Amino acid sequence: MTAVSDIPSNSAIQLTVGAKAALITVVVGAICLALEGLAPWLVKWPTAWELPATEWVGAFLDWFLNGIKPAMRLFSDLMAYPMNGANFVLGNTPWPILIGLVTALGWFLGGLPMAALGFFGLCFVLASGYWAESMNTLALVAVSVPVALVVGGAIGILANEVPRVKSFVQAVLDVMQTVPTFAYLTPLLLLFGFGPVVGLIASAIYAAPPMARNVMLGLERVEPEIKEAAIMSGGTRFQQLFQVEIPAAATQIMVGVNQCLMAALSMVIIAAVIGGFNDIGWEVLLTMRKAQFGESLMAGLVIVVFAVVIDRMSGTLATERKRYDPRVVWAVLGFTALFTVAFWAWLPNPSELTLLDPMAEAVDSGLTAFTQANGPWLDALKNNSLFYVLLPLRIGLDQAVLPFTWGFQWTAEMSFGLFAVGAVIAALMAWRGHLTGGLIVLILIGMLETGIANLPWPFVLTGAAALSYVAGGWRLAALSVGLLCTILVSGLWERALLSLYLSGAAVFSCAVAGGLIGLASAVWAPVWKVVRPICDMLQTIPLFVFLIPVLMVFQIGEFSAFLAICAYAIVPMIRYTRHGLVNTPDEMMEAAISSGATEWQIMRDVRAPYAAPTILLGLNQTILYAFAMLVIAALIGTTGLGQSIYLALGQADVGLGISAGAAMAILALVADRIVQGFAEERRKALGL
Amino acid sequence: MTDANTPAITCQNLWQVFGQGADKALTDALSRSGNDADKAATDLREQGFIPAVQDANFEVKEGELFVIMGLSGSGKSTLIRCISQLLPGTGGEIRVDGENVIGASKKALTELRRKKLGMVFQHFGLFPHMTVADNVAYPLRVSGVGKKERMARAQEVITLVGLEGREDSYPRQLSGGQRQRVGIARSLAVNPDIWFLDEPFSALDPLIRRQLQDEFLRIQATLKKSIVFITHDIQEALKLADRIAIMRDGKIVQIGTPTDIVLRPVDDYVREFSKDVAKGQHAKVASVMRDESERGPDDPGLTTSMTLDAALAHCMELYEPVPVRDENGNIVGTVHPSDLAAALQVDET
Repeated sequence: MTAVSDIPSNSAIQLTVGAKAALITVVVGAICLALEGLAPWLVKWPTAWELPATEWVGAFLDWFLNGIKPAMRLFSDLMAYPMNGANFVLGNTPWPILIGLVTALGWFLGGLPMAALGFFGLCFVLASGYWAESMNTLALVAVSVPVALVVGGAIGILANEVPRVKSFVQAVLDVMQTVPTFAYLTPLLLLFGFGPVVGLIASAIYAAPPMARNVMLGLERVEPEIKEAAIMSGGTRFQQLFQVEIPAAATQIMVGVNQCLMAALSMVIIAAVIGGFNDIGWEVLLTMRKAQFGESLMAGLVIVVFAVVIDRMSGTLATERKRYDPRVVWAVLGFTALFTVAFWAWLPNPSELTLLDPMAEAVDSGLTAFTQANGPWLDALKNNSLFYVLLPLRIGLDQAVLPFTWGFQWTAEMSFGLFAVGAVIAALMAWRGHLTGGLIVLILIGMLETGIANLPWPFVLTGAAALSYVAGGWRLAALSVGLLCTILVSGLWERALLSLYLSGAAVFSCAVAGGLIGLASAVWAPVWKVVRPICDMLQTIPLFVFLIPVLMVFQIGEFSAFLAICAYAIVPMIRYTRHGLVNTPDEMMEAAISSGATEWQIMRDVRAPYAAPTILLGLNQTILYAFAMLVIAALIGTTGLGQSIYLALGQADVGLGISAGAAMAILALVADRIVQGFAEERRKALGL
Repeated sequence: MTDANTPAITCQNLWQVFGQGADKALTDALSRSGNDADKAATDLREQGFIPAVQDANFEVKEGELFVIMGLSGSGKSTLIRCISQLLPGTGGEIRVDGENVIGASKKALTELRRKKLGMVFQHFGLFPHMTVADNVAYPLRVSGVGKKERMARAQEVITLVGLEGREDSYPRQLSGGQRQRVGIARSLAVNPDIWFLDEPFSALDPLIRRQLQDEFLRIQATLKKSIVFITHDIQEALKLADRIAIMRDGKIVQIGTPTDIVLRPVDDYVREFSKDVAKGQHAKVASVMRDESERGPDDPGLTTSMTLDAALAHCMELYEPVPVRDENGNIVGTVHPSDLAAALQVDET
């Protein structure tokens, strides 16, 4: 053979794994589109082929839940005692005493800043007039957190002691992390009936995993030599564990306590959806439904204040802290007691306080004025985003382009032209040596034309399999296809695609915007100074509260949901991007500088590649966050699985709730594994 | 209890193999190879097992300072963890004071550790949440010694290692050298018969290291423990050891006195180690002494325990054989000055 004829044959053989996978996906997609007329079942999974899986799950769960119901009811009756107790104590303690206690606790934990935070935070709550509701919420947290701490801690210790239990626990925790919060509520509702105990138990279930995770992590990370020293000192296993390993892991365990508190608070507020308890979450929901946004914002702020106070105070536990003068604690408590006694007769009933009502009204009227003044502009923003971005993504250009929106009608010729352009771009890119990139462009154009909600199922499965194979080999591909097939046959496919579309759009926006903000924060320190507290705040706010501002400005609808999801899910992307870029080892930077690289070249050739695995992990978190928020956003109008879960809750339909929750978890799990696979591959390539 | 001739520690055909089902794999490999350790190790490796310690045989006598030396990955840390039973040991026997500890019950091991064993770790292994005094007293606390008594004992060992005044400090407030003093004090709290030290000075600066080595020798001179000491530093090994075992890829390749190791390495690997060592500082006159009585007229006053360097300095201008005396001044042999020079010759490679 001559050298000339060798070259093309070589390049034909040397298709990378990625190119092969993309090629197969393109072929499958093209076949589906071509045969759509002949065989509609290739695009839309026929209803006749669906299994009544939802009913089966429902029937089974009904049977199972009814079986354990008596035991659970007994448990819930028992839980009612501590809850009523906490309610009674918090509800009847005069407010100055509580404020004094929190202030004293703040001083003990973190000195003056924490004391001030506690004092002003609670004063705000008092002034807002939501004192009684807040105490109800706090009572729920106060009971669910100890339960979660004990259960989570015990699970963590057990997993640490018994290696076989560990992998099982880890798997369960992974799944629990992806199951949407609302999905927990439906079966609990069936078990415990409506009422505060459901919220209590849901929040304990939701808050235990972070504790278990951190206990496991902490115990695992205790230096091996410390463990060995405990053994060689002649300690029994019990002594080793409780006298050495757990205290040595205290910092990590305290991180668990902090996360547990936050999770419990978040869930208690979400649980307000089922009602039956006059707490602050309920207040938000109620005012939101009545479109009293001023009040709802006020109640939302009360929640945020609680979240910030609890988070910052418990956060000090996980850092090495100074000892603050205990005399101040006694002084504060003493003063509080004196104050309470002296002014006993004049203490106002906190529920009748209306100090901040004018503010709420001002917000309300200001908001009305604002939306009226900026109505056209806001509407244009909303409609343009909907018509030109979200809708085409959802149902495809072929259906979204209408005379009413775009000014002309989409035709088959246009589709053909679009594909032709795509093919030319792909061919050009392939010719320049970027075959995989070209094929991906072609796939994206195809998806835009068809719309995510109308994608043919064989194409989705092939695409998922191809991605999984590239990211993690055959096993991951088989897992992804297997899991997605269960959604397909259970009749939740269309709703799953809708969820995929909305979360996909949000994740994409977050990745671009968050990546850029992260980049800016890494390059210019002043940007990070501004961005950081915003990120901290966004991560502290319970999910629920995100809905209020978007609702105020954009009303109910998909666009509001989209914004709420973005606001919540963008944070990890920013954080990880910055973290990855900032943490390039100095030696690598110095090597690049001494090679004569410019700032931009260092970013492109050194910092970005080194940060890639970290950024991918950020993307992974963003995806999980987006799925978590998707369900909450169902409250303000999204379609898809989130809506199903929410509806199931309203109808106490366990089958639908659990199936839709599982489908959501599957989507999140598959996305999670694929991105983790890519991150792992990058890490290995860098030798990390 | 045990008579004076019982070695403090005996290891016989000790194996530590890592991998799922290593016990059976080792038995099979040994029976296949007819108890040939090398063949069995190769066999195990091919099956994907890691034979980290292969067929180790040695004794540590009462009061002996036994150093195990090897590079990282040679299995020395695994070996000391077998002896202290932090790792179970896959095959063979370990006798501590005559009792086999492999397969001993948990309770018996705990009891053994509470009474007879002490261990010092490379990265100190201090409990971060306890003060110096609490760290040192911990081995006494677990065996139920009352607070007053254990604090008194802790004070004694803290004084022994020269840390008085730091009793209430936390480990994070101490320097590396001070931390290891705490580690040493803790390991001595129960006054153990057997003392394990796993690279105790490797994480320290050279100056601090030398200081602690000297203090360690001082402490050992009064306490006379039976010691297993791990190091990767040949200088340290030669300075401290009564005897040295050199490990390579899981095998003990040579056991001998420092002089043996320096002057009579069994193979190139050991020779490679001793190459950079100033032999004259470690080898003793006894190692080149001949049993002859024909000597020249000069008597430069050599003794058996003199280092070769010192001896050579005394014989710089002598060519004829000279007498060697023992500690009591009796002539016990003869040294040819040319032998001294020959022993110190650096190997050309």
